[in-house]
Amino acid sequence: MTLFLEQLFNGLQAGVTLFLIAAGLTLILGIMDFVFLAHGSQVMVGAYAGAAITSWTGNFYLGLVLAIPVTFASGYLIEYLLIRHLYRRDHMEQVLATFGLILFFNELVRIGFGPAALFSDLPPSLGHFVEILPDTPYPVFRLVVIGVGLACALGIHLFVSRTKTGAMVRAGANNPEMTAALGVNITLLFRMIFAAGAAFAGLAGTLLGPLTSVEPGMGEPLLILSLVVIIIGGIGSVRGAFIAAIIIGIVDTLGRIFLPMLLRQILDGSAADGAGPALASMLVYILMAVVLVFRPQGLFPPRG
Amino acid sequence: MRGIVEIIRLIRDGAMENRLFFLLLAGFAFFPLYTGMADLPFWEDVAMRIMLLGMAAMGLNLVLGYGGMVSFGHAAFLGVGAYCVGISQSFGLMNGWVHLLISIGVCGGLGLVIGYLALRTSGIYFIMITLAFAQMLFFLFVSLEMFGGDDGMSIDRAEFLPFDLYEPLRLYFLIWAMLVLVSVALMLVVRSRFGVTLRAIRNNASRVEAMGLEPLGFRMTGYVISAVICGLAGALFASWQEYVSPDIMHWSRSGELMIIIVLGGLGTLAGPLLGAIVFLLLEEFLPEFLYLVAPAYAENWMIIFGPLLIAVVLFGRGGLMGMVGKLRAGRRDGDGS
Repeated sequence: MTLFLEQLFNGLQAGVTLFLIAAGLTLILGIMDFVFLAHGSQVMVGAYAGAAITSWTGNFYLGLVLAIPVTFASGYLIEYLLIRHLYRRDHMEQVLATFGLILFFNELVRIGFGPAALFSDLPPSLGHFVEILPDTPYPVFRLVVIGVGLACALGIHLFVSRTKTGAMVRAGANNPEMTAALGVNITLLFRMIFAAGAAFAGLAGTLLGPLTSVEPGMGEPLLILSLVVIIIGGIGSVRGAFIAAIIIGIVDTLGRIFLPMLLRQILDGSAADGAGPALASMLVYILMAVVLVFRPQGLFPPRG
Repeated sequence: MRGIVEIIRLIRDGAMENRLFFLLLAGFAFFPLYTGMADLPFWEDVAMRIMLLGMAAMGLNLVLGYGGMVSFGHAAFLGVGAYCVGISQSFGLMNGWVHLLISIGVCGGLGLVIGYLALRTSGIYFIMITLAFAQMLFFLFVSLEMFGGDDGMSIDRAEFLPFDLYEPLRLYFLIWAMLVLVSVALMLVVRSRFGVTLRAIRNNASRVEAMGLEPLGFRMTGYVISAVICGLAGALFASWQEYVSPDIMHWSRSGELMIIIVLGGLGTLAGPLLGAIVFLLLEEFLPEFLYLVAPAYAENWMIIFGPLLIAVVLFGRGGLMGMVGKLRAGRRDGDGS
């Protein structure tokens, strides 16, 4: 039971981090109809910025806070220098150009910081455990990640659903041409969404830094998972992305721990040892395939 | 018989693109003559890799270029084709011809299933679902410990009776012969009624539908054919490398195949092969070039390759084949004046 609760929290933490990455991506895909594969590189940029600033200043919080403007700037620059020239191109060209961007960023980081992984230590104030239930200690930092992620999710939701700019964003997702014709500066809107998306992805990377290893190419598995999130949630739907992210985070985490255990109960030892991990790592992709077969537009396609 | 007549006609009065294609194939046939004399076995190896990746890219090009379906998971078929060889060998099956048949059959069946499920969607969803299936297979082989898991499995060079592949150049010419076979088959497919319909669907699916043809069937057929070709390339890849690991089906390899096609020219016959030549030559020469300019960064050739790729997408529309076409058009204009 303790183990289950612990893993449930880990799944929640993975889910909200995925949402931070997927939120920007779903707007980029939904509003601009742009397949931005280098979004994972923004996660990596955030993680490196956080780790580097932390080690230079010796202050983890400073790294966490300063990584946000760094990734915002990097998103802004990428949009300005490259992406805006690709909006009118077809999907495959967008895939290839942003694939080139991934190669470039990975190599840049490898030249700047070396091929080995960086590790950033948590400050003492975040490095300890608390009891979430009697006899169930849980690392404080993961709780902080969950808290920050949920706060951001709430903020993004309120922004999109309650503010005037948010209304423009939703209108842009439904019909960019009409929105532009109504006098919305769609160029600026696009660039800001891009930069804000990069900042949220960067925040996710900074938060993940102390939990995983910070290394070149660390963003790609996260990118692919957040693409799965967006597809399951429905492209362009922030609410769908949130629900799908939590589902994926929990299914993936619990699957990896409990599916092999479960299979060992049913099958004999060697077959279960072979099939368990294989099935567990395929689980989210199987989930995605099943969702798409029954609902090709995802679970919560944006109304429009 | 009709096929042979068709091929002869293609060489005789076909477009310049076809002639260039046959020139490339002939070039690969005579290349060992040069490497043999100059004693450059390394370049024979590079040529084999070019032919194998080129073959896989030609398979993908059928759906990507001619069919307009952006499949982002074709490396999976390459990998499954390769694993078919490794897994049959681990069960004691050593006949290379049988390996090829198994790879073709398994990849065809897999292509049918994935194609059926993926083609229910379109646009971004299609790109992503093909990627998802490829990831699924990637993780399946990563976690299959009995077939080497992460580390992969080594493969013996199979018996292709009556040929002994340990004899130098036999494998080279086996790969070459398969490449020619695939090329001719694709050439006929593209020119057939089926191929024309596939291109028509790419340009305007609803118009084709209005004419009473069902696009899904054509798309599926194209998808299965391309999966089979990638599987065949994968099986040969396994024999050439004498080793297979999940690396072969990593999602970045699917990207590589797309790069090769776009580099060479989307929806052309010679494009994928030309693209494979340029791609692998860049892979060989960029590090050497960097070694001359900035020796410390010779390993980091991707820092040039990435932006180069972006430049090709931004400015090089039509790829190398497009450039060849433009050169030719320019010359014709010059003649006319």
